[in-house]
Amino acid sequence: MAAEAGALRVVDFGPSSPVRSQTLWHAVAYGVSAGAPATVSFTRPAAPYVCLGYHGALDEVDLDYCRAEGLPVLRRMVGGGTVYLDEDQLFFQISLPAQAVPAVRWQALRSLLGPAVTAFRAVGVPAGLDDDLEICVGDRKICGHGAGQIDNAVVVCGNLIERFDHERAARVLALAGPAHREQTLQLMRRFVAATPVDAAGFQAALVHAYAEALGLRPVPGALSPDEARTVVELDARFTSEAWLAGPQPAAGSGRPPRRVKVRAGVWSVAPEHEGAQVAAFTSAGPGGL
Amino acid sequence: MGQLGRVSVAGFELALDRSYHPGTHMWVLALAPGRVRVGMDPLGIETSGTLAQLSFVPVGTELTAGLPFGQLEAAKFVGPLVSPVPGPVLAVNEAVGRDPGLAERDPYGAGWMIEAGADLPPGLLSGPAEISEWFAAKVADYRANGVIAE
Repeated sequence: MAAEAGALRVVDFGPSSPVRSQTLWHAVAYGVSAGAPATVSFTRPAAPYVCLGYHGALDEVDLDYCRAEGLPVLRRMVGGGTVYLDEDQLFFQISLPAQAVPAVRWQALRSLLGPAVTAFRAVGVPAGLDDDLEICVGDRKICGHGAGQIDNAVVVCGNLIERFDHERAARVLALAGPAHREQTLQLMRRFVAATPVDAAGFQAALVHAYAEALGLRPVPGALSPDEARTVVELDARFTSEAWLAGPQPAAGSGRPPRRVKVRAGVWSVAPEHEGAQVAAFTSAGPGGL
Repeated sequence: MGQLGRVSVAGFELALDRSYHPGTHMWVLALAPGRVRVGMDPLGIETSGTLAQLSFVPVGTELTAGLPFGQLEAAKFVGPLVSPVPGPVLAVNEAVGRDPGLAERDPYGAGWMIEAGADLPPGLLSGPAEISEWFAAKVADYRANGVIAE
């Protein structure tokens, strides 16, 4: 497919099954890698699920709980931590040819998160990008993001969190015990916040911000036939046990992790003995809530 | 010169006993005929950000020069580790996979990444003068463009 010069393809997939809420935009990335225009896409999970970052360890997920609750567990190709997703989160992705972004990763990430910050501000959220490249209001993270290179495309994805189920987001994680679980929940409540703004307004602002930043013209679009075929291939891959197991060397130790990242610079650390005081570490050092 | 074959160039340690792929900051060290070790130089690591994860293709995978032999994650960004050599993967460094900080602390030693069944390919930089000149120019360029601190 030849790239349409100056076009920013805009694809809104709407509500999608858990696996499609991942495979649709991954297929877009493969399409962009093969010559499709730069693309902004949107998806909203039609049902809750859990998603690991590319290198995430399965040990991080309470698989028994997820199985009992009927929560699919998937793995994406981009980075970041293990997250809980549901229909109260609108996900966006910007996919660009790799040669169109800075070769240095943190510079690429900073430049591609900037328009998302602009979009939040346009709908009245006083967001900023902190030194850890988290999109925040004050010290509270308001957008979960991940990024990666898929073939010859760079993708940065994030979300608008309209409501956040802190309890379930903590519950799906495998943690060292009740005290560690409670600590993690408290830190999530303290450091992860929803921004319940009008989603349609945010989408429009995001498209405008990326178009401005990239000097491109937004054009409504859809998957190409090749991309549609890729979706089907990725559906099979993403639901296979081999893909879910993750890359080698396998991360994790086979036990629940004793440190859980809540946001950049904030960790929930398990106590040495259940019932002992748990510790929260922030970028400023050990601290309370 | 400090450790044998190593010099400090613009504040970075540079090993002179191996060859470098200038576009990817990968070093290649000949271990024996038909066997090389591959890792990333300190400048490549510095410009990646704090390494969070490393993963490699399995032993036995046939590498193509210019295509990935693994993935590196830093700042939630997963990107390819690009192979400077063709040939089969003979070994992967599981220690650096478990502790990516090894690549930051000891990039020329314990932080090696893979070994491949290959000889040194053409097109790599080699020899103290050539690699020192290239490395110093890259540091100056990155500093001038704000990629790394002064």
